[in-house]
Amino acid sequence: MDTTQRIRRPYVIVIALAALAILMFSLVPLSIFSFLSQRLPVFATVFLGIFIEAVPYLLLGTLASGFVEVFLDRQWMMRVMPRGNVSSAMMGALLGLAFPVCECGVIPLTRRLFQKGLPISAGVAFLLAAPVFNPIVIFSTAAAFGWGAMLFWRLGLTLVIATFIGIIFSVEKDAINVIKPILPVIHIHKHSHGPIVTFKDKAAQAFVIGADEFFEMGRYLVIGAMLAAAMQTFIGQGTLLTIGKGPVFSVLVMLTLAFILSICSTVDAFVALGFVGTFSFGSILSFLTFGPMVDIKSLLMYRQVFQKRAVVYLALLPLLMSLLAGVVSNYFSP
Amino acid sequence: MPVRLYRLFQGLTLIALCLFLAGKLINGKLTWYINMRFVPLTMLGIALLAMMAQVIFSQSRKKNEDDEDDHIHGSTRNLIILFLPVLIGILLPARPLDSSAVETKGVNVNAPLISNASTSQFEVAADHRNILDWMRIFNYEKDLSPYLNQNAKVIGFVYHDERLPEDQFLLSRFVVSCCAADAFAIGIPVQWEGATTLEENTWLEVEGAVQATEFNDQRTPLIIATSVQTVRTPEQPYLFP
Repeated sequence: MDTTQRIRRPYVIVIALAALAILMFSLVPLSIFSFLSQRLPVFATVFLGIFIEAVPYLLLGTLASGFVEVFLDRQWMMRVMPRGNVSSAMMGALLGLAFPVCECGVIPLTRRLFQKGLPISAGVAFLLAAPVFNPIVIFSTAAAFGWGAMLFWRLGLTLVIATFIGIIFSVEKDAINVIKPILPVIHIHKHSHGPIVTFKDKAAQAFVIGADEFFEMGRYLVIGAMLAAAMQTFIGQGTLLTIGKGPVFSVLVMLTLAFILSICSTVDAFVALGFVGTFSFGSILSFLTFGPMVDIKSLLMYRQVFQKRAVVYLALLPLLMSLLAGVVSNYFSP
Repeated sequence: MPVRLYRLFQGLTLIALCLFLAGKLINGKLTWYINMRFVPLTMLGIALLAMMAQVIFSQSRKKNEDDEDDHIHGSTRNLIILFLPVLIGILLPARPLDSSAVETKGVNVNAPLISNASTSQFEVAADHRNILDWMRIFNYEKDLSPYLNQNAKVIGFVYHDERLPEDQFLLSRFVVSCCAADAFAIGIPVQWEGATTLEENTWLEVEGAVQATEFNDQRTPLIIATSVQTVRTPEQPYLFP
């Protein structure tokens, strides 16, 4: 009776809450506030760094997807793509030469190509290989490492892993088990505008599709960049680098780094360059192969495009294969 | 949300992102976030965002009698998320990485980061070398004797590393290969009797003779400072290898 009466009086509750708040604030050591005021600007800078770096590439990728949707003919695609699983996987892996995209841009583009009738094996191989096997990345890797062993092995290993995983995926014949259906952003009940004819209209249409996809994929870029920035701001990396010794451990450290740094494949060669001398050839190679295939933000985007089981394969197979390649390389050329 | 309203907000978000990036470009703060060499890429991004916004706005103006029936599925959240970078950029103070980031990123005393470390780079006049140049020399040159006792004049911020003796501090810079995410700090120990009085994070210009020392099992330069002056934060706080 007594208690119910007390609860009925709202101001008592307000006072109680205020007292509780004061108590909590006095219990939380002041150092936490100064810690946050120190670290939050660091978080903001790292987050915006990843975001600003990646935005142009995501824009290019989503626009490419828009143009594919509007201009690429489904029949033509069916005719051109080879039938066999192995040949279509290899074809897919090489397709990056025609679409210079990084790992953010490649995901919406792949989904669009799937919709246009690209076989699963080719699409998966394209998804994994294109962020490395394209002119921009080839030149940026060459700019960082020269036209030598690192470039050769990066391209070769990426092709092998992508084609191999593409072939594995070709076991699944039903696309619905691999890819989530595209939900149109806008539900149009009646088609009031007639067929789009002029080039200008078509281009505008491509831009609208690109913009919609930029917003759909961009949210994973934002969230992924935030996660990566938070991990970098609040968890020390110095220790990670100092424990990175030994033929297996060094590869593991570089793979972890590739995952949490979440930097764009077009520029990661310059970052990898920073580890030459501290890390072996094999571990840097694994960094350069695995990073473009899987990192925090691309993993989030995969979840939007692929079914759960496919996402697991898409993350684990590249991880295991780059780990293997890195460790083998460490044993043979220490 | 009706389509036309959604298009309007979509266009506005694109414009906000576009202006945000353009603002950073104009006030020269883009290099607080990314390496200088990728600035043209951001310019391209600004242009694409503007073009997208233009098309989206023209779409939102198109009047379709059936538009009332069309609606958007669950994308309002996307609009908000894409606006977050602008919001964070406005709410949190813009600050280049400083000594508080050193604690998580770690400080490096060797400079393995440069493959094109041709010795020609070492021919830079002694008092024009920056921290990175000095570290390259001490990492790559076998014979240090021509460099010892040369006069160094370098700019960096103060970082008190507890592994150093009382009268020394690290004069540090962040090195950024592509964006702030891959930044790491490098630092040269400086010997200065007033080291303890120097506040962490202060930007200094240090002048003095270069000696060789060992820090963290690594051969590194040590500047015996003859002059230590507070300077303003440089326009480009990071070094780009």
